[in-house]
Amino acid sequence: MTKTLRNALLGAAFGLALAAGPAGAATIKVGVVAPFSGPFGVVGKSFKEAIEVYQAEHGKTVGNDTVEFVYKDLDQANPAQSKALSQELIVKEKVSFLAGYFFTPDALAVAPLIDEANIPCVIFNAATSAITEKSPRYVRTSFTLWQNTVPLAEHMAKQGIRKAVSAVSDYGPGIDGEAAFKTTFEKNGGAVVDSIRMPLKSADFAPFMQRIKDSGAEAVYAFLPAGPATLAFAKAFNDTGLRAAGIKFFGPGDLTQEPDLPALGDAATGITTSFNYSRAHDSAMNKAFVARHKEMFGSYDTVTFTSVGAYDGTHVIYQMIKNAGGGRIDGAKAVESVKGMSWESPRGPLTIDPDSRHVTQTIYLRTVEKVDGKLENVEKQSFPKQPDYGYKLAK
Amino acid sequence: MTSVAERPDPMTDPMSRHTPPAARRDLGWIGIPLVAAVGLAAYWLLPDDLALLTRIAASALFVLSLDLVLGYGGIATLGQAAMFGTGAYAAGIVAVNWNSDPFVMLAAGGLAGGLVALVTGALILHARGLTLLMLTIAVGQIVQEVANKARDWTGGSDGLSGIDPAPVLGLFRFDMFGRTSYLFALAVLVAGLMVARRIVRSPFGLACRGVREDPLRISAIGGSPKSYLVALYGVAGVFAGVAGALTAVTSGIVGLDSAGFPWSAEALVMLVLGGTGRLYGAVIGTAAFMGIHHVLAASDPFHWMGFIGLFLIGIVLFLPGGIASGFERLGALLRGKENRA
Repeated sequence: MTKTLRNALLGAAFGLALAAGPAGAATIKVGVVAPFSGPFGVVGKSFKEAIEVYQAEHGKTVGNDTVEFVYKDLDQANPAQSKALSQELIVKEKVSFLAGYFFTPDALAVAPLIDEANIPCVIFNAATSAITEKSPRYVRTSFTLWQNTVPLAEHMAKQGIRKAVSAVSDYGPGIDGEAAFKTTFEKNGGAVVDSIRMPLKSADFAPFMQRIKDSGAEAVYAFLPAGPATLAFAKAFNDTGLRAAGIKFFGPGDLTQEPDLPALGDAATGITTSFNYSRAHDSAMNKAFVARHKEMFGSYDTVTFTSVGAYDGTHVIYQMIKNAGGGRIDGAKAVESVKGMSWESPRGPLTIDPDSRHVTQTIYLRTVEKVDGKLENVEKQSFPKQPDYGYKLAK
Repeated sequence: MTSVAERPDPMTDPMSRHTPPAARRDLGWIGIPLVAAVGLAAYWLLPDDLALLTRIAASALFVLSLDLVLGYGGIATLGQAAMFGTGAYAAGIVAVNWNSDPFVMLAAGGLAGGLVALVTGALILHARGLTLLMLTIAVGQIVQEVANKARDWTGGSDGLSGIDPAPVLGLFRFDMFGRTSYLFALAVLVAGLMVARRIVRSPFGLACRGVREDPLRISAIGGSPKSYLVALYGVAGVFAGVAGALTAVTSGIVGLDSAGFPWSAEALVMLVLGGTGRLYGAVIGTAAFMGIHHVLAASDPFHWMGFIGLFLIGIVLFLPGGIASGFERLGALLRGKENRA
């Protein structure tokens, strides 16, 4: 009895000594909060795969430190749960970084936590401009609706379109898109003849199509959450003859994200969108990224904008660890060290804007076309160095 | 959906008839100090899991409010989150604009939740069964849509953030380790349990139980079943509102999900799991469901949902009256042995 007790004590002491370990060879943990199950599970999957691709390319160690990712499932927008999970990651798992966050409220929920714990939070997706204003420890590697919409509205005005109508889902991002579109399009001499807000859960879009037709607009700017709603909207647009009548269809690229394209089918062809990443982006780095993905996971069907968000976010985290030079990670200093950082990503050149801590990037104008029997967003034009136009714009 | 909502009744009815009232009273008396003791023990034993424990305490208060309407009033509802969400938003709006004292927030939440429950209850409680179930869902959807539309006040789908509650009694700050949050939530839960116990044992509570058993007889002896139910619904709304406010205090943010249908449904699952009509069944069910959810999701964040399903099926098959009924059966078994010996 005493012997087992002594052994156990010895074992515990040994374990503790191991855990403490020699200085400079620590394990740096990164907590990733994202949807890994449920209807948005594909997002978490793309995050995880992109992180694994990055680690396969760049190794799991930085200097003497091993980088370990800890995943927490948050299957839907639930800020209270997001905060509880992040708190657990900080207090129990002792993570040095938080990352992930698909929905805006989930990302906003952790602002007080990361300030108090002095931990950097790298947002892989959540796209409302105001997030990075809430804490100086947020860095974001995705996009914002303003960033995608402003170049699109300018492009539409340049095409000679004078009368346009906006049709958006009636929730935060939709209203952001509507505001960004109206401001930019009218500044460039166009007129927004009608601003339509559609209930988030509507499935029948025929009445809205009638309003678009009645407004006499030459083009429509549409934003809906990706998935069935977009599908129904695009189908209604074709079926009610708006497409045949020559009304042009524009929108941010969320509408035609890669995993949804097979479901959208031919209804999607010809839709022009603006976005920060297309799987069909023509660069050696992107081809290598997609090929590596296929090699590791058997297919590249899940590669989309959330993949590059996570891939580049992982790159930023690695850079922060490098900058700390093996020392303890100080959140404020780590964020400071990546301000103004520029690098080449599968989506093109990126720079972290020192003020907004959001990536300044090239936004591409794309059209949905069939490439080798598969629908892809084919890039037609690029607008380099687009910042987040929405930063500090809202009250 | 009805089958889930109404199944507990036949299970609890024989139970309440066969168990002598004295035995039930004893168990109920022990329940509350036990919750407090277990809660405090968890504070010392699991100092790294306070975030989860805080959520369990706040959710348990919400499930308790559902137990009041379903377990004691027999009101089948899938819209209890309407009151929870209203309470959370009311507390958040008060904190952001006027006063961020945690007790003021709780009061605002309780008031708002109670008001919404009284108004909607008076409108919908003439219905029973499936119709009522649908009406409660509709109320939930309306509250959620109002919160989505009133972006200036609620932040819409971005959530109402920036809630920074003042220290409790001016002394205990809400820190990131969640110590204050947890003890505060536990204290509110224990207080809620005491008040709820007082209510269900009062003449009013007994009358509500009478309505659940036989509304016709209550009318026959001169009572108005509907007004009893509306009052009970309002009281439960106060509980749900306080639970929502408690979540706003401890998490610092309120999202649209807090008034959503999935939250109502999940609360119902937790209640059925724990056992209806017992008060502490709500606490047991919430702790069991969220605790197991947490362990499974942490060990396998990708496939945990399947295991939760298996667990629920197991409980429904082997303990149809909920986990609490299992304890009661065990107690009865032990007592039976003693008597024989």
